[in-house]
Amino acid sequence: MNEFDMERVRSADPATGLRAVGALHRLAERVEVEHVAKARAAGWSWEDIGDALGVTRQSVHAKHGKRERNV
Amino acid sequence: MFERFAGEARAVVEDALTEAERRGAVRIASDHLLLALLRNEEIAAAAGTDAAAVQMAADQLDRDALAAIGVSVSEVQLPPSTVKGKRATRMTSGAKEVLKGTLGYAAAEKSPTIAPRHMLLALLDRKEPDPAAVLLAALPVDRGELRERLARAA
Repeated sequence: MNEFDMERVRSADPATGLRAVGALHRLAERVEVEHVAKARAAGWSWEDIGDALGVTRQSVHAKHGKRERNV
Repeated sequence: MFERFAGEARAVVEDALTEAERRGAVRIASDHLLLALLRNEEIAAAAGTDAAAVQMAADQLDRDALAAIGVSVSEVQLPPSTVKGKRATRMTSGAKEVLKGTLGYAAAEKSPTIAPRHMLLALLDRKEPDPAAVLLAALPVDRGELRERLARAA
């Protein structure tokens, strides 16, 4: 990918731009799920993961802890 | 309003909740209703498309939107049933309009039941930028012709 071009973002129409935001959220969610699981498998604490994501240990655990218990 | 939905139409609303959650949305929107509705074989046959084709069209719209802002992804897949505990229990105002329209079509026909067909008619009334209207526009569906066919099926 070339350097991110803010001009292209500005030139998109709002329908496209807002749809892209939704798609980016879903992509981010996927990457997060994947890598939180990897970090846990590698022995990271919830605190370590929360720090990496810039959120609290509690919020990351509330969001992903259940998934781990299901596995 | 929802209490008056019975049987198949109620199942569509419930399936729309699943669609919303699969897409990581916190609200049920009109496009989720459309996706759920096209899981109904009769409706899919009438529209000449199916849920898989609509899903592909939705994914393509995502890829195109990302490309337009300079993010290239070869494949955008839905996140696998994302976050537990975050349930999409509420509807967007557009989705509520669709339910209202669905009731309107059933009432106009004096139909004792609210059928999936009434919901497709209501979805066909949506105008862009409504997400269902955007999705319908991306499909090889002749909306005018489909509307006539649905009206004749009354």
